[in-house]
Amino acid sequence: MSDEGLRLIAAALAVGIGAVGPGVGIGVIFSGALQAMGRNPEAEGTLRTYMFLGFALVEALFIFALVISLLIAFRIV
Amino acid sequence: MRNRILTVTGILLVLGIVLYIIGVRSTKLHISVAAEPVICLGGARATLETCASGFPLTNSLITTAIVLVLIIVAVLAGTRTMQMVPRGFQNTLEVMVEAFYNFAQSVDRKNVAKFFPFCASAFFFILVSNVIGLVPGVGSIGVCVPTAEHKEAAVVAPVADVRMAEEPAGAPDFFASWPLSCEKGTTLVPYLRAPSADLNVTLAWALVSVGLIQYFGFQALGLGYLTKFFNFREGFMMALVGILELISEFVRIIAFTFRLFGNIFAGEVILVVMAFLFPYLLPAPFYAFELFVAFMQALIFAVLSLVFMSLATEAHGGHDSHGHSETAAH
Repeated sequence: MSDEGLRLIAAALAVGIGAVGPGVGIGVIFSGALQAMGRNPEAEGTLRTYMFLGFALVEALFIFALVISLLIAFRIV
Repeated sequence: MRNRILTVTGILLVLGIVLYIIGVRSTKLHISVAAEPVICLGGARATLETCASGFPLTNSLITTAIVLVLIIVAVLAGTRTMQMVPRGFQNTLEVMVEAFYNFAQSVDRKNVAKFFPFCASAFFFILVSNVIGLVPGVGSIGVCVPTAEHKEAAVVAPVADVRMAEEPAGAPDFFASWPLSCEKGTTLVPYLRAPSADLNVTLAWALVSVGLIQYFGFQALGLGYLTKFFNFREGFMMALVGILELISEFVRIIAFTFRLFGNIFAGEVILVVMAFLFPYLLPAPFYAFELFVAFMQALIFAVLSLVFMSLATEAHGGHDSHGHSETAAH
């Protein structure tokens, strides 16, 4: 296999495997927030704030993977 | 108003489809992780990303200055004629500050006056610097600089460039003939670049934030703050936990840095890649998402600083006092 091919596989694996954990995490966050909103509709405003806070925190992990993948794909590292 | 927005959107859409059918494309992606120097003050350029001598005036430094001037001028203009009952621009500023203040108050009611100045400054600076990266022209207007392989063609002329970078040999050479595009063998160095897409800026903010967290910890607990990290009196397990806490303080710097940098930089890359895959149409929803991310990351940075600061000022092992402050807040 050529170096070019290995590089592309590495980039794809970095973003692909890196998306698994945050995907599960975002699912857990939104399911919890929706359940809480269903049980207590008055708290929706506060819940939405913290839901997006948690969402952005978890999404940052995926962004790390994406940046590493881009660095590999565009031959920067 | 709504009709006008719809009309403009429709015209842009039709224009985009027409340009797409004609065959106007950006031909190669140019992505730079580091901020490139636009000019080297009192020196010569070595490569695209470094200066051989002199002070490298990078594009993110220029944009940082612009962001600071924007914020200062806006605040001065808003508070020049202060009124008890605010109207117009003063009202807008007050609403933004007050909304964030109320949110900060819900996190830590006791120390909010101490933490608020830094966190609010971080929030507004990062918000403006994230959003300025989405302004059309930032990152696409600049000077043409010869790439390393084409040193002999050392022509630096200010141009506006539609194209992302130089094409490889044999690629369709559509834009090279356009009046305002870079010549072959040169690549574009933009005048402006979002400050948060430069690792130096985010690292500086992270260092200041984590440093302030330690400062507030020492201020509130004195030398007792150190027992959080070096705790050898409560057995082996607690000593280990203390060492882990110490490591996590350093991890915070890295996490703060790369969360902000990664989100903004990756957002710009995603916009470029989407414009490359399907021009004019596909970037639009991602543009909206990037606006959301720009706001969210600014909020995350400020709120995380706030939460860590309020955690640092709490006494070690004070589960009871924590419970009290929780109940007091509600």
